[in-house]
Amino acid sequence: MSRRILSLAVALVVAASGVAFSQSDVATLRGAPLAEDAEPPPMRPQIDADLRQVRNYPEQPPVIPHAIDGYQVDLNANKCLTCHARARTGESQAPMVSVTHYMDRDGQFLASVSPRRYFCTQCHVPQHPADTAVDNLFIDIDTLLSRGAGPGAADGR
Amino acid sequence: MRTFLLRLWAAMRLPSSHFSLGFLTLGGFLCGIVFWGGFNTALEATNQERFCISCHEMEANVYADLQTTVHFSNSSGVRAGCPDCHVPHDWTNKIARKIAASKEVYGWLFGTINTEEKFEAHRLEMAQREWARFRANDSLECRNCHSYVAMDFAEQSPRAADMHQRFLATGEKTCIDCHAGIAHRLPDMGEQAAESLSPAATGTVRGRAALEALVAENRHARPDDGPRAEAATQER
Amino acid sequence: MTISRRDVLKAQAVATAAAAAGIPLAAEAQNLVTERELTELKWSKAPCRFCGTGCSVMVATREGRVVATHGDAKSEVNRGLNCVKGYFLSKIMYGADRLTTPLLRKRDGVYDKEGDFEPVGWDEAFDVMADKFKAALRDKGPEAVGMFGSGQWTVWEGYAASKLMKAGFRSNNIDPNARHCMASAVAGFIRTFGIDEPMGCYDDFEHADAFVLWGANMAEMHPILWTRLTDRRLSHPHVKVAVLSTFENRSFDLADVPIVFTPHTDLAILNYIANHIIQTGRVDEAFIGQNVRFQRGRTDIGYGLRPDHPLEVAAQNAAAANEADEIDFDTFAAFVADYDVDSVSALSGVPKSKLEALAELYADPDIKVMSLWTMGFNQHVRGVWCNNLVYNLHLLTGKIATPGNSPFSLTGQPSACGTAREVGTFSHRLPADLVVTDPEHRATAERIWKLPAGTVPEKPGAHAVLQNRLLRDGRINAYWVQVNNNMQAAPNMMEETLPGYRNPDNFIVVSDAYPTVTCEAADLILPTAMWVEKEGAYGNAERRTQFWHQLVPAPGEARSDLWQLMEFSKRFTTDEVWPQALLDDNPDYRGRTLYDVLFRNGNVDAFPLADVDPDYANDEAAHFGFYVQKGLFEEYARFGREHGHDLAPFDVYHEVRGLRWPVVDGKETRWRYNGDHDPYVTPGRQIDFYGKPEGRANIFQLPYEPPAESPDEAYPFWLSTGRVLEHWHSGSMTQRVPELHRAVPNALVYMHPLDARELGLNRGQEVRVVSRRGAIRSRVETAGRNKVPRGLVFVPWFDATQLINKVTLDATDPISKQTDFKKCAVRLEPVT
Repeated sequence: MSRRILSLAVALVVAASGVAFSQSDVATLRGAPLAEDAEPPPMRPQIDADLRQVRNYPEQPPVIPHAIDGYQVDLNANKCLTCHARARTGESQAPMVSVTHYMDRDGQFLASVSPRRYFCTQCHVPQHPADTAVDNLFIDIDTLLSRGAGPGAADGR
Repeated sequence: MRTFLLRLWAAMRLPSSHFSLGFLTLGGFLCGIVFWGGFNTALEATNQERFCISCHEMEANVYADLQTTVHFSNSSGVRAGCPDCHVPHDWTNKIARKIAASKEVYGWLFGTINTEEKFEAHRLEMAQREWARFRANDSLECRNCHSYVAMDFAEQSPRAADMHQRFLATGEKTCIDCHAGIAHRLPDMGEQAAESLSPAATGTVRGRAALEALVAENRHARPDDGPRAEAATQER
Repeated sequence: MTISRRDVLKAQAVATAAAAAGIPLAAEAQNLVTERELTELKWSKAPCRFCGTGCSVMVATREGRVVATHGDAKSEVNRGLNCVKGYFLSKIMYGADRLTTPLLRKRDGVYDKEGDFEPVGWDEAFDVMADKFKAALRDKGPEAVGMFGSGQWTVWEGYAASKLMKAGFRSNNIDPNARHCMASAVAGFIRTFGIDEPMGCYDDFEHADAFVLWGANMAEMHPILWTRLTDRRLSHPHVKVAVLSTFENRSFDLADVPIVFTPHTDLAILNYIANHIIQTGRVDEAFIGQNVRFQRGRTDIGYGLRPDHPLEVAAQNAAAANEADEIDFDTFAAFVADYDVDSVSALSGVPKSKLEALAELYADPDIKVMSLWTMGFNQHVRGVWCNNLVYNLHLLTGKIATPGNSPFSLTGQPSACGTAREVGTFSHRLPADLVVTDPEHRATAERIWKLPAGTVPEKPGAHAVLQNRLLRDGRINAYWVQVNNNMQAAPNMMEETLPGYRNPDNFIVVSDAYPTVTCEAADLILPTAMWVEKEGAYGNAERRTQFWHQLVPAPGEARSDLWQLMEFSKRFTTDEVWPQALLDDNPDYRGRTLYDVLFRNGNVDAFPLADVDPDYANDEAAHFGFYVQKGLFEEYARFGREHGHDLAPFDVYHEVRGLRWPVVDGKETRWRYNGDHDPYVTPGRQIDFYGKPEGRANIFQLPYEPPAESPDEAYPFWLSTGRVLEHWHSGSMTQRVPELHRAVPNALVYMHPLDARELGLNRGQEVRVVSRRGAIRSRVETAGRNKVPRGLVFVPWFDATQLINKVTLDATDPISKQTDFKKCAVRLEPVT
């Protein structure tokens, strides 16, 4: 079994060069033949470890490293800001919301967090300890630079 | 009327001429048991979730809120019903709370909160009353189940463990300071920013003028509603 | 060797590790890289790949790879913001299982429907595919071939596909998955205004005093428009937000007037509001006197099921569903008078106080109101009616086509408007609102396309749901699916879609970037270049056309849909696919390939390679030897210029952050039909609905009619399906981004805690969702982001492991042919 997998792995690494393999159930996210159903994976609690994840690039909004079940963010109240608002970070030691969040649509800084950023979970999401069905081969810029490919390489040309 | 009362008083002062002392003592004792039992049964009946949500106002609003929270379903299967948090467990305070509840009976009779809109309009006032009570008794009803000495920090998230050690152990804050809204939807915290909660804490700030006012106010706002460490008790 | 999915996945993990070898940076202290040559990134603009909002993003590339993305500060749409999906666009192309070579089902070295997928070259793939298409055309004619595309096609891809099908193969059996998404909105626009797409634009968000969401969970589905709405609501305390849905969703977090109504009763609520406007004397009589006509639509129009279904047999007007007769205002007023607050409150389950508060937002002349809707209205067996009825409210009060007064239909696909609608990739449409049934329209198309008269067939082709039925019945035999995942998205998978795709008579081709469940049901899979791996154009919900350049190369043998369509056309000659009579009348066209006839016609190949921006690659132009995209766009633009659909010159769009058509004299149009803004308005008129005779829009008299299927004793719950913020397009891209996958790993059955209790179900427990048509296994969620009322469950459909469309019903709106994915009856069974 493991040998078969290894050889398949090799096949996939060089898949671009066209090493042959065959399969009938190709849908990698599916988990069962189309007409059947597998047992759904268990529901697991949100990750609550408080360990910040490295961002893929500086512009990426950080994922939430803690559970937010039951957090109320609505017309009445915003629970996230009870820790992450500027004035609360001394007490909470939570990261302050980014300064970009104080800017209105025209790029002008407001006295408080801009209403357009009011609903935190539109950009920031908690994480579950779910296995990713398939890996992602995104390469971050530091890694790309450290490979020493050097400047001037083709930009998609 | 006056003569009736005088005659009754006179009769009551006389020793019994028909019943034995034993009968009277035992009878009185039994009656006492029946009466007390009845009173307590009635009291207990009003102390059950079933009773609380027999009013539409409770069932449609706060009980509906509760059903999606950790106090309704959680990993250990322990559920807190309405009276667990809203009726004091020791006798004197319980009776005091029951007497205060006459106001609620009045509200129910006259439909003070009998629509969703009316309920929302009074949500803040009602919540503040409960928060004040919790603050005054150091969150006693929380502590009936949760106590600092029984907390296992290894089982809490690092953030929660830190908060509990910094603020709960020192007595700087009490449970409700951070956990307000854990079982019910928070009322509109924006409109009363000047009163007790830090405006920054709620973030519900409307309009430029309000924002500018808050900048000034923020300097001396007393943040009663402290940082949240909710996840520790939210086990899912 | 034959290999299971598990093996493939395990192998991928190893492959990934190998591919990523040597990546981790040393942990010891590092200094900052500061050298400008190293730190400088190449940033280019592109519209987001996901929803119909059409946010612009800035994309950083380095060494042929996307390394970062962020919201485009210069874009009017999003002003620097993205939602979580948009922020993770950088990673959508890098799933480890990208398809990089064509895969054909084979046994013993030859194609076999029951064989296993084996890698083949493009030549072999197209050879087998062309054989199958030719056989179908030869044996049964043009109606035996079909194509299913989407609003994710770029403008020129949809245009090339439409040309290939309608003019090349002479088959109108081409439809986009936009049929599932906003066909009801289209029919609503055409019936009321005679021209598709909203008259207003996103600027309305900054002008309105009230927002009414009719079955649109914008907080999750259009997050960036939601930021604009939230900004308006919270910055200006007088602004009110009403949210209507069949369950509480995240949009209720901002609701001043939250309304949960009994499914399908929105029809009655809409008529009640019209009645309220009339009864309280708030009709804008001058406005309706000049700009409105009253119509009574046909009723009892059926449910778009198969014709032998008892509901269709019983329906009186199923065949004439779209017809209407003119009436007057008094007739209309008398009709809606039945929809009084008491009876509508009883029917809908909405308290009277809320109905009145809602109605006042429309009736009060001092409130500028914006109505917004998507799937709640459109995926509705009376979806066209819902669209018509909401326009009634805006027309009665004259609150339309002015800043802040805006009935606004939102879209789900990034180019639902730009491609599916404007290009007209529907089975009955041609570009710029032309239709195949109109001889003049066909003649226009043939003239622009330089094709003989009679090339484009008259009969509308099969729409999305009908295509699946015809596949199942073996009447469409050669079928090509591009850029969508219809096995997962289409209704009633077990009775229609799956048997259709696996019908031994049929040959199914699926072009995709990733191996979806639709790929698995196919016979040939074509690996496809996506998003910034090609030059593209999308049109968003506010009529804004946006372009992007190719920024990175596609992996392996993956090719764009455009390349595939054009290259495939080379394998057919007119003699093989056109009827003898047409060729006899037009001998010049004999013996030419469809590629020559359709794409080397002097229009499409009018622009040389030299016109391509030297700073960017263009794989298609390089391959075909001319600026394909520009040629296709400029030919397409001829349909709309000077006909109310004017597009700017091609090159302009590469410079600007999109423009809203009609673009006349270099100026975009923000409010159509409004004399102050729209150059097409008859001079002297303030408002002119010029899509209809005399510039008068239609107010429709339409009743409440029951849904196709309602809960009963055997199936006691309503099932509503829908989406989540973190996943889009069936999760085919978003589930391959680990952060998005971990945010929402699986679909769940959202249900009321007390319903769960009654069935003995706990949160997290496994449950079967069963309908008359199929079942899935999922898990119970009683908390979380949606709060459903008793008697209803909500299941998102993004999850390939839980195909909820096995359960749904293929009932459609009889006018728009759009499926009602929001209502069918199910029962829940605990799995023990």
